[in-house]
Amino acid sequence: MKQAEKTAAGPLLSVRGLRVDIANKRILRSVDFEVDAGELVVVMGANGSGKSTLALALAGHPRYEVAGSASLAGQDLLAMPVEARARAGLFLSFQAPPDIPGVKNNLFIRTALNSQRASRGEAEIDAFDFLGQAKSGAKRLGLPETMLGRPVNEGFSGGERKRNELLQLSLFKPRVALLDEIDSGLDVDGVRALVELIAGMRQEGTAFVVVSHYLHLIEMLEPTRVLRLHEGCIAESGDLELARSITSQGFAAAAAPAAAVAGA
Amino acid sequence: MNTARAETLAARAQLLEQGGWEFRRLEAFRFVPPPAAAVWLGDEPCGSCDASPLAGAGWTLHPVGAAGLVDARWLDASDSTQRAALFAGLPLPGDDAVAPFAWAHRALCRQGLRLRVAAAADAEAPPLMLQLRHLPRETVEAPLLVVELEPGARCVIVETHERDAVGCSRDLVQNLQIHLRLGQGARLQHWRQVEPAAGDRIAHHLDLRLGAGAHYAQALLAVGSAYHLQRTQVQFDGEDATAQLGSVLLADAQQLDQQVRMIHGASRSTSTARALALARGKALVASDQYAHVRPGVENADIHQHLAGIPTGGAPRLVMRPQLEIENDAVQAAHGTTWGRLPEESIFFARQRGLDEATALSLILHGMAAAELERGLGDEALCETVGARQALEAALTRLLSAAPAAAPATEASHG
Repeated sequence: MKQAEKTAAGPLLSVRGLRVDIANKRILRSVDFEVDAGELVVVMGANGSGKSTLALALAGHPRYEVAGSASLAGQDLLAMPVEARARAGLFLSFQAPPDIPGVKNNLFIRTALNSQRASRGEAEIDAFDFLGQAKSGAKRLGLPETMLGRPVNEGFSGGERKRNELLQLSLFKPRVALLDEIDSGLDVDGVRALVELIAGMRQEGTAFVVVSHYLHLIEMLEPTRVLRLHEGCIAESGDLELARSITSQGFAAAAAPAAAVAGA
Repeated sequence: MNTARAETLAARAQLLEQGGWEFRRLEAFRFVPPPAAAVWLGDEPCGSCDASPLAGAGWTLHPVGAAGLVDARWLDASDSTQRAALFAGLPLPGDDAVAPFAWAHRALCRQGLRLRVAAAADAEAPPLMLQLRHLPRETVEAPLLVVELEPGARCVIVETHERDAVGCSRDLVQNLQIHLRLGQGARLQHWRQVEPAAGDRIAHHLDLRLGAGAHYAQALLAVGSAYHLQRTQVQFDGEDATAQLGSVLLADAQQLDQQVRMIHGASRSTSTARALALARGKALVASDQYAHVRPGVENADIHQHLAGIPTGGAPRLVMRPQLEIENDAVQAAHGTTWGRLPEESIFFARQRGLDEATALSLILHGMAAAELERGLGDEALCETVGARQALEAALTRLLSAAPAAAPATEASHG
């Protein structure tokens, strides 16, 4: 595996003092962490601790008011519109991917992919080449090929939606991927495909921030670090043992430290 | 005076005798009242202008007499014999809300097309496809189309309304009546594309009667104009008949009024009416969908769904589903959504790298295309008849153009 590498300007993804409010309610008080290329950070936390908010806020969801700082390869992430973050290499796998009626999956993915390529000055991928890649990716992930010709996520089962997210992850090849409960809805074959995909992409240098509750998956992912989010801060940072401890004792039993862990 | 001329004058007299043109009092026309009767009768004063007169061909049909299954007759309403043949079997205007339009039509109608479609000998053969283009012949006109599908006939009609590309700068007034009759077990898929010029005032009335087991599917793309009415009335005469309509209504500073009437007069009849209205600027769009289940009609199944989305400016969108049910054994579902852009889908698309305008356009195109596909009930057919391409062009115009100025209340020509 390619070892964690810092970019010349610092870590690949750096989050400092991130504060997130929604409708005058503070969800995240101050979150600090960083991830380098090829690393995988797991974020655990009780329901409502702000895990999804963290992912959505970094992706630029307009619902949130965000303060603090976050950079992607030295670029000010929070200053960018949503699509610029995506084009800079930030991918968010949605916990509940929405439907887009009437827009065929393969057309949507190809249009988005070409939009990203254009922003990098790369030539468009033609429909034939794209379809070949998409079919091959779908097969690897256990997503029926027919799903490519159907409207985005419309009528998809929970597992199919997650496989479709993984298909986009594999085709976009982002620098940093935020995966919000990607395993929910996936069967054992899906989880195996997920683990293989992530391992392969880490080899290529993609960094991952994975939100998950499930120790079995976390162990298979071989995380670089495990973070526990509590009351809007990173309350603990550790290795796989932290995930095992949380799983055996539960979040309620975990002691909440008085102050956030800086530089997790 | 020949009979045709006498009937024309009688129709004018009937229009006046029946109270004239008091649409503002009618609930269905409350939001988008039509222009005065004089407009539809060609009595409106016409200022002098240099615009070339319209010289369209009226209805053109391709292919004519396809495979011997189609009997097509273009009939001159000013000739007594042909007029009798043209209006044969059609109901006289009654006392319903749109009777004034029907009398005005009878007073002005000069030409019509009657089609009779027979069933193919091979029941497995693909349905017959008929291309019906309409090019206005006059600046004020009342064309007529009558289509009869014999029992078991299967047909696709591609109905488009175009303007003569040469020298046509006049505003059009068009009072179109279409009568569709589907015999037992007949199936008709109907693509309708109606994109009038901004100053045009048009009213299209579709009157459908469905025999037992007949199936009618319609996808409509309509854009706003100075006045634009699309009114469809479906009468379920036979049991187990089904009708489905999917409409996309687009308006930029103009008016568009859609009225759908589903009259369930036979048991186990099924109707589905869906409409998506996208409007911007100071547009006014109304969609009024009414379904009536008559006493004694068992197990009718009704679905109505209306959605209105402003895409910019401050348009007015009036979405009204209505049910009148006179039997307990009915399944009915209706709903309306107004004003909500699919924010999560837009964020999702932007997160994949699409800029906001592209994401919005892609999603609205998708929603609109889905409505047309639901209407025709056949995704591939939507491609074949050009529905997707027409939608693409019309919606791109709506989303990319600067908001248009509201049209003048008086047209400058015609």
